[in-house]
Amino acid sequence: MVLLDRIAFYFQTVFHLASEPLNLVILFGSVILGIMFGAMPGLTSTLGVALLTALTYGMGPATAMVCLLAIYVGGTYGGSYSAILINIPGTAASAATALDGYPLACKGEGGRAIGLTTTTSAIGTTISMLFLVSISPIISYFALQFTSFEFFLLAFFGILISGTLTSPDLVIKGWISGFLGLFMACVGRDLLQFYPRFTFGFSELDSGIEVVPVLIGAFGIPQIIQVLKERLVIGEAQKFQRILPEFGTVVRNVPHIVRSALIGVGIGSVPGIGEDIAAWVSYGAAKNISKHPERFGKGEYMAVLSTETANNACVGGAMIPLLNLGIPGSPPAAMLLGALMLHGVTPGPMITFEHPNFIIEVASILLLASITMWIVGMLLAKQVVKVLRIPPPLFMPIVGVLCIIGSYSLGINVFNLYLMLPVGIISYFLTEMGYPIAPLVIGVILGPMADENLRRALMVSQGSFLPIFTRPVSLILFLIIVWTVVSQFEFSRRLKEKVVGKLFKRRAKKTGA
Amino acid sequence: MMDKEKLRKADFFSGIIILLFGVWIVRQSFKMPMKDSWGGVQNVWFVSPALFPLFVGFVIIILGALLSRTAWKTVGRGEIGAVIRWLLSKSNVEFLASAPTLRFYAMVTLFLSFVYLNIPRIDFFLASILFLSVFISMFYFDDDGVLKRLFFFYLAGLLVFIVYFAAGMESSLGNAVPYSGDVLALFFIVAYCLYAWVQVRKNPSLRKKFRTGMIIAVAAPLIVIPIFKYFLLVPMPYEGLIVAFLDKVWYLDF
Repeated sequence: MVLLDRIAFYFQTVFHLASEPLNLVILFGSVILGIMFGAMPGLTSTLGVALLTALTYGMGPATAMVCLLAIYVGGTYGGSYSAILINIPGTAASAATALDGYPLACKGEGGRAIGLTTTTSAIGTTISMLFLVSISPIISYFALQFTSFEFFLLAFFGILISGTLTSPDLVIKGWISGFLGLFMACVGRDLLQFYPRFTFGFSELDSGIEVVPVLIGAFGIPQIIQVLKERLVIGEAQKFQRILPEFGTVVRNVPHIVRSALIGVGIGSVPGIGEDIAAWVSYGAAKNISKHPERFGKGEYMAVLSTETANNACVGGAMIPLLNLGIPGSPPAAMLLGALMLHGVTPGPMITFEHPNFIIEVASILLLASITMWIVGMLLAKQVVKVLRIPPPLFMPIVGVLCIIGSYSLGINVFNLYLMLPVGIISYFLTEMGYPIAPLVIGVILGPMADENLRRALMVSQGSFLPIFTRPVSLILFLIIVWTVVSQFEFSRRLKEKVVGKLFKRRAKKTGA
Repeated sequence: MMDKEKLRKADFFSGIIILLFGVWIVRQSFKMPMKDSWGGVQNVWFVSPALFPLFVGFVIIILGALLSRTAWKTVGRGEIGAVIRWLLSKSNVEFLASAPTLRFYAMVTLFLSFVYLNIPRIDFFLASILFLSVFISMFYFDDDGVLKRLFFFYLAGLLVFIVYFAAGMESSLGNAVPYSGDVLALFFIVAYCLYAWVQVRKNPSLRKKFRTGMIIAVAAPLIVIPIFKYFLLVPMPYEGLIVAFLDKVWYLDF
């Protein structure tokens, strides 16, 4: 009965949201804007969500989420346009799509490829939405059993794992980035004793570093500098005719779509890891399973639909830890977390009590956004592709102004700008030197949670760390953290090889080989 | 991102910087109350505000040291020495004067001047037009020679602004000329556009780019600022000549 009630309420919410003309206008506008952000090389869905956050200031939480989730879904999907038509991935998430999408476009099948990716992206988002609705109550139930030690370890794990998996170079750099974020979170008066830490006498720093300007600076400014410094030249887009995919092609590929969606949801739900990793993992899985792996890279439909389904399924996956644990599953989700806090919604285990319908609302918005994305993709693809002709030196400076006014307007505070710019320039240097930015941002977001819960836990245990080993969840998290750290070092790899080698030797002796 | 070999060399130095940063965090953290009283509360180590920064600082020190060690082991002493020699050589000066580096300086200077100099002192609308017209013209023309000349012209203008604001001329001129800072900005925008036009007037394709760039430089703030100011009710960081005019138009008509 409870399940039926939930399903009925879910559809009620979908109809309620869809029946409001303002919501529909915002939904279509944001999806189109998101697709443009995703399609234009140099702009990302994270930046899109960051910039739109400022515009949602006067809206209610549900309407704001319509706007932000629509731009997130549209932005993740929009990257496939430039990947398929000009061989430049609009976002990192669509880099894997370019490998097979562009050869398809060169063969004159760009329209079909876009049609197929549009459909599979919509299916991917919908599947991830189903997971969000079904898994959230279970995760929330378990999260309610968490105490301060678990929350500290969870925050710590989030930073470590995002540093481990997002680092384009050495893993240590990902961890350094995460800890620099944690340091930034220390700035301001501490939450337990109100002692000013690293404020240098600036009263503006007393309340700590605002998350949204840091996010805008860290993602926006390096993007502008990189694109214009490296003189990104956009090539001529390939022409295409038919967009609507054949129903048979979609049906034939259902197993691949489901597998890719599951990969996307799984990877999306790991803290801090974004759509790009989901797309690459899905591409690899599709290639391994395929009967014709030699066709990959030369224009294979299976490759294109695998990557696009996975990266869009990541959106719903990223919402699972965000809403239930307050830990963002991807960089745009980190941005959403900032936006939610701005609207008075604090994601975490208590969300089901404080805002009982919120997760259902988010799931409804995801469904509506994926339907809207499909409609827009089918009807306006040819028009949207025109934005690919705008040269970056024309739109990047405007993005710069939007970053600045966006950072300022969130607190109506010029000091936010004074912080945003140095963070942006430092982030640029870090990016150039192979440090990932996502862990830094996640560190800033999870820092207060880690700090407060560490001290609260120690207060309860009177300074003892023993509960980490006596509480099962704490112990599991602790062991995972230790394993995450130790597995990155050479000695652990050698030890693993030795142990595996000995085991195989024994087995070989036993079998008498 | 740099290539692997360059990255490892850079890692050695960035590791040291990060290590030193960690040392600084730890030093600052030790100045926080550990066991003494703060605000009438007697501290114990596990509720001290220093606990978390200390943890973060020590981990940063360890990670910085590990990064430097990894880089040292990968590239070796000789290569690190070569980097130091390169840093002190003429090649480094050439690198700092190269076209990509100049593009970087130009962008950073534009952002710094916009945020720290113009936004707090000049009408936001004018500051945005100045930022966009300079930014677009420097990069849209896609000519390093033109970029260099435009950048130096902008730097000269910045110098005038710095002298004007540092000498307190705004307040002394303010009584005679209302919005004197904005008027100066307006003059500078016109002068800059004329100078940019002179640079490109002989080249038809650049002339077209100039026109497009200038239209966008004016149109973008004209769309963005009213949205924030009148629809989202966000007051601009500095409201001067143009915002006052927009206010008059908006509140008279609606």
